[in-house]
Amino acid sequence: MTLSNAHVQSVAAATPGEHPPLHPARSSAIFEPLRFRNLEVKNRIFRSSVAGRFDNYDGSGTEVRINWDLKFARGGVGTIISSNAPIDARGHIIPGYAYIDSDETIPFWRELGRRIHELDCKYVVQLVFAGRERMMTGVQRWPAWSSSNRAEPINGFPATKMTVPEIQSVVRSFAGAARRAREAGLDGVELAGANGMLFTQFLSSAINDRDDDYGGSLENRARFSLEVVRAIRAEVGDDFFLGFKISPREHMRELLPWLRPGNSLEESLQVCRWLEKAGVDMLHISTGGGFPHPRNPAGRFPAREMVKTYDALISDGRHVLRNFLIFSTWPFSAGFGWWWQRPTRAFGGYEGINLADSRAVKQAVSIPVLCTGGFQTASVIAEAISSGGCDGVTIARPLVANPDLVRHFEAGRDTAPRPCTYCNKCLFNFVENPLGCYEEARFDSREEMLEQIFSVYGEPSFLAHDTPVEVA
Amino acid sequence: MIDNDVIFEPLEFRNLTVKNRLFRSSLSGRFDNYDGSGTEIRINWDVKFAKGGIGAIISSNTPVHPRGLIVPNYSHIDRDELIPFYRELVSRVHEHDCRYIIQIAFSGRQRDVPGIQYAKGLSSTDKREPLHGFECERMTQAQIDEIVDAFAQGARRAREAGADGVEVHGCNGYLITQFLSSAINDRDDEYGGSLENRARFALEVVRAIRREVGDDYHVQFKISPREHMRDIYPWMGDGNTLEESVQVCKWLEEAGVDGFHVSTGGAFPHPRNPPGKMPLADLARTYDSMVSSGRHAFRNLVAFRVPPLKWTMQKWWERPLHGKYEGQTLPDAAAVKRAVDVPVLCAGGFQTASVIRSAIESGDVDGVTMARTVLANPDLPKLFAEGLDRAPRPCTYCNKCLVNFVENPLGCYDESRFESREQMIEEIMTVYDLPAYKEQGAPARTATR
Repeated sequence: MTLSNAHVQSVAAATPGEHPPLHPARSSAIFEPLRFRNLEVKNRIFRSSVAGRFDNYDGSGTEVRINWDLKFARGGVGTIISSNAPIDARGHIIPGYAYIDSDETIPFWRELGRRIHELDCKYVVQLVFAGRERMMTGVQRWPAWSSSNRAEPINGFPATKMTVPEIQSVVRSFAGAARRAREAGLDGVELAGANGMLFTQFLSSAINDRDDDYGGSLENRARFSLEVVRAIRAEVGDDFFLGFKISPREHMRELLPWLRPGNSLEESLQVCRWLEKAGVDMLHISTGGGFPHPRNPAGRFPAREMVKTYDALISDGRHVLRNFLIFSTWPFSAGFGWWWQRPTRAFGGYEGINLADSRAVKQAVSIPVLCTGGFQTASVIAEAISSGGCDGVTIARPLVANPDLVRHFEAGRDTAPRPCTYCNKCLFNFVENPLGCYEEARFDSREEMLEQIFSVYGEPSFLAHDTPVEVA
Repeated sequence: MIDNDVIFEPLEFRNLTVKNRLFRSSLSGRFDNYDGSGTEIRINWDVKFAKGGIGAIISSNTPVHPRGLIVPNYSHIDRDELIPFYRELVSRVHEHDCRYIIQIAFSGRQRDVPGIQYAKGLSSTDKREPLHGFECERMTQAQIDEIVDAFAQGARRAREAGADGVEVHGCNGYLITQFLSSAINDRDDEYGGSLENRARFALEVVRAIRREVGDDYHVQFKISPREHMRDIYPWMGDGNTLEESVQVCKWLEEAGVDGFHVSTGGAFPHPRNPPGKMPLADLARTYDSMVSSGRHAFRNLVAFRVPPLKWTMQKWWERPLHGKYEGQTLPDAAAVKRAVDVPVLCAGGFQTASVIRSAIESGDVDGVTMARTVLANPDLPKLFAEGLDRAPRPCTYCNKCLVNFVENPLGCYDESRFESREQMIEEIMTVYDLPAYKEQGAPARTATR
């Protein structure tokens, strides 16, 4: 605690002038506790799902991930939503992320939760099954399970249509993972239902082409999500926090113009009502039926940065070599960048790009609603909350840039002195390089930037090897 | 077990005694942190070989300076705060009556993945490395002095960590080769031109180490007596002759080297090292990570994927050895041994007890080092001790391990050696079987066989 106090003072003393202090009333909504049915958090700022490939290839967790999450807890966020945690090795998006696929993973999650709780921060695990929306197959080369046999359209990862027994086994795996989160003493789970992951692949009218009970009508497409929610409730009971992340609009044609557009907002509102009825405690509003998407994470398309790390994927998907050539060859890269930024140009920026959808969901349900999308300005966040657009915001890239953003808000600043530029370089570097802020313009030198990136590794361990790792 | 088996006779160096004649050669995956700090996974990795009965482990290449990394995620020895990691690693290896020698290295222009810290390598020349096309700059005198000192400090850290010695990585095309080589070094100052000048950097490194660690610490030197550059690039100079390299070894011995480790090839990888096949399918799957790294990497990727180009590449690569892999470096090692008084080790596909035994008994070498073959069978020394001539499932020299390490955890990737792909993956993942975060009595994450 002394550490964070010292940190507040240093933040308070830093760089006067640039951003005049806000009138306290204009940011007060941010610091009101938020009460969910089964969880109370100290403020309205959530760290959204974000991490690098910091764990072991077999899905076991490391100190590096703990270091990563601790950064944000120290910075004052009320809650951390973990990066996507596969509930089954088959469901990973990319190797190097901690799994929650077996009981052997519980001690790691328990230690992580314990260390986060020490800093008065809550910890929610995001449960994921990627389906066809992957980045790297991994050495296991498992075929991707999906609602459909059609390959994912951007990278061309092949997919196989799940059989009903396969669907049921994934439903059970979600329930088992939620139980592990509870046993590990964590504060809840969030289902990764947005951004093209397996839930989206079932929900989506653009992707789901089944003619059984899990496809066709909206009710059928929602069946898988609702079954998972009910299975989790049956497993962990009624008194454990359960959130659902959803992309109310898929905007598939903004990815590729020949795709079907995907669910309408009205359809998604209906799904949200069903989810609430099935026992969901919170809805987390994102956007886009694929990841990445021009609207999420909303920002620029860093072609040069992308080519440096996207090459690692070439051998994996069917279209990756084509994409690599597009990203690395002018004028294709410029053309693609222009296409990518059309939706955000039309919106006129990045911050709060999902607020309209969030507001619509909030009006349709009575549980709290969180909204993601480029938030980093206290007055914008406070206004979003007090005007009924959402009950809290989740932040990823702006917190990667400024893990102490909340401390700046506490000190009365409207934003950090060096805010996130939405350059999206972090997004593409994580494939090959340790995650951190890669926007050199935000640092005095490249060395300072690298120091910031490497800080996740902390002090070298092994200083006292006879002291065993404490497992609560 | 054979009585008085020379393989299991101790080997005495001036400052170090090893219990047998089997050394694990430099070998590891990308198991550490990107900033060069070591992890429990590397300890697991090395302990595996110590448990198998090997006499000494030579660590994987350990950069003495952050700019000298070959690929990120290998532990460095470039700062004092990393000493405790090596202390722990060494003590865990010592528990199995196995010696630990740290290979101190500096990549220069030859790298696998340059990483985010430094765009350009340091070299004797400013000509690009020819395989992948990595950029480099010609070192100034100040840079030479800095790196010489970095080697000395690396050796000091190894000694402070309790390691049993250091091996100077002087072969396979890395920085020291870049100075030694008549094919690469194009300087016209006192570090280039004559053999004496080309050897100056290597000798300065050895003398600086001796000054730093004293005379009573094991320092060995790994060298490629023949570079065979034309095996890869028919338009280049072939590199140093055996006679030139034997002379360099004599100078190195005079400068204080306690042993030589003989490899081959003025580049890495090289058709003769690691001697084996070119695994096209695996290469195309992992080489893509490097496409953005060097100027020729994209060209190479295409060449590895497109028939008939890829078959031509493969034929060309496999041509020098004609499928004979085990002990093909022995004649070079024997030539070095005849010229020096210190013990000589030899690398190159060893995995047959009778071959190793006769190499030692004939006086060609004093011991052998093994990498891929003990990767396939970490308990190979124990099998030899039980009297087997070879492991039941020997290494096939498929070189899939070699190309998988870039993207995937290192292990044996030859599916034909396992009952199933699942069994192979399970074996590979055992390196992550860590004590951390495990509740007492909790089962290991990966099922034990």
